Amino acid sequence: MNTAKVYSMKQARQRQDDPLNLQRLPLLSPPRDGWPTIEAALRGDTRRRIAWRYATGALAAAATVTLAVGLYWQEAPNVGAEPVTGPEPSVGGRLAADEPLSRARRAPTPRTLDSMVALSQQLETRLRGIRAETGSLPSSDVVYQVELEDLVAQVDEELSRQPDSLALWNQRVSLLMDLERLYENSLRREYHRIASL
Amino acid sequence: MTQSPFDIELDEMTLAQARRGQLGACERIFRAYQRPAFSVAFRICHCHDTAQEITQDAFITAFRKIRQFRGDAPFWGWLRRVVVNHAISTLRRAPRGDQLEYQDYHASTDGGQEQLGLAMDLEAALAALNAEDRAVVWLHDVEGYGHQEIAELFGMSESFSKTRLSRARARLRLLLDGAGQSVARAATDASP
Repeated sequence: MNTAKVYSMKQARQRQDDPLNLQRLPLLSPPRDGWPTIEAALRGDTRRRIAWRYATGALAAAATVTLAVGLYWQEAPNVGAEPVTGPEPSVGGRLAADEPLSRARRAPTPRTLDSMVALSQQLETRLRGIRAETGSLPSSDVVYQVELEDLVAQVDEELSRQPDSLALWNQRVSLLMDLERLYENSLRREYHRIASL
Repeated sequence: MTQSPFDIELDEMTLAQARRGQLGACERIFRAYQRPAFSVAFRICHCHDTAQEITQDAFITAFRKIRQFRGDAPFWGWLRRVVVNHAISTLRRAPRGDQLEYQDYHASTDGGQEQLGLAMDLEAALAALNAEDRAVVWLHDVEGYGHQEIAELFGMSESFSKTRLSRARARLRLLLDGAGQSVARAATDASP
């Protein structure tokens, strides 16, 4: 009795939802097998991703060389300047007021906040160029690349809270330089591999 | 509540593998859902070639975006939305139409000749509808979409959906009555 009642309610609802009983129409099969097209498109995506990665890597070599030369000149701007003689004329850890200018120039460049921010931007621009134009890291290096990029993201998050932290900017620059090195080493290996063919 | 033909359970393992980009898992998903996908695409656009393209494009989109599927609703509902969105946007771009042929039904219906004839009549009546009316009545009556969902798909108001549904059903009844009378007349003419 109850079963009949439930059944008739179900039928009534069915009539209301689909009064013409369109659901009796059968499912149709596509005229052709669509999978080969879908598979080709998905494989194409993978190839494009790989090509893009490799493309990013080639520019990295050039960028790394440029960076290395740039850093070299930045760190040693007075090659051939007057040699320093005698003891360090410092008072309480500070340079003496009458210290010759050449001696001040020989002292390690202080890494101020502004200079670190500028260097970080410079590296960022170079990395962007490398990724956009040349491409790529082999899959074995992608793990490290992702790891380093994650660390940069974490530092950025910290920096959003403490934008004036010199330590954090130092850390960011170091990570970006590690990324550059990763590209450089990867490219060197790839160069040797191709050369040995 | 209407049960959608898409309502097929998918195991978690296959879904996880597809999310990782494994083509074997993607193919299993395609094989499981291709018929409901093609059917809804065909019922909306009423063209074999277009329905085939919609189905393929929709699956490509779905597999590219499968990581965006959050898993808080059934997978089939998400996939169906992708297919229907593709079909509606194709319908808007280039409404076209063709007819199902007898062999399509011969291959896909299990019932006898009578069921086959009824289904053919219904299919012919659907084909005679305006494309938007057909899409609305199919999405509402077969796929179980609500008026609000249909209105969102078409970028129209709910009253658009209600009006179209009512008009489509009335026209289908009229067409089916006409088809029934033609069959009866043909049977009378054929008798000695």
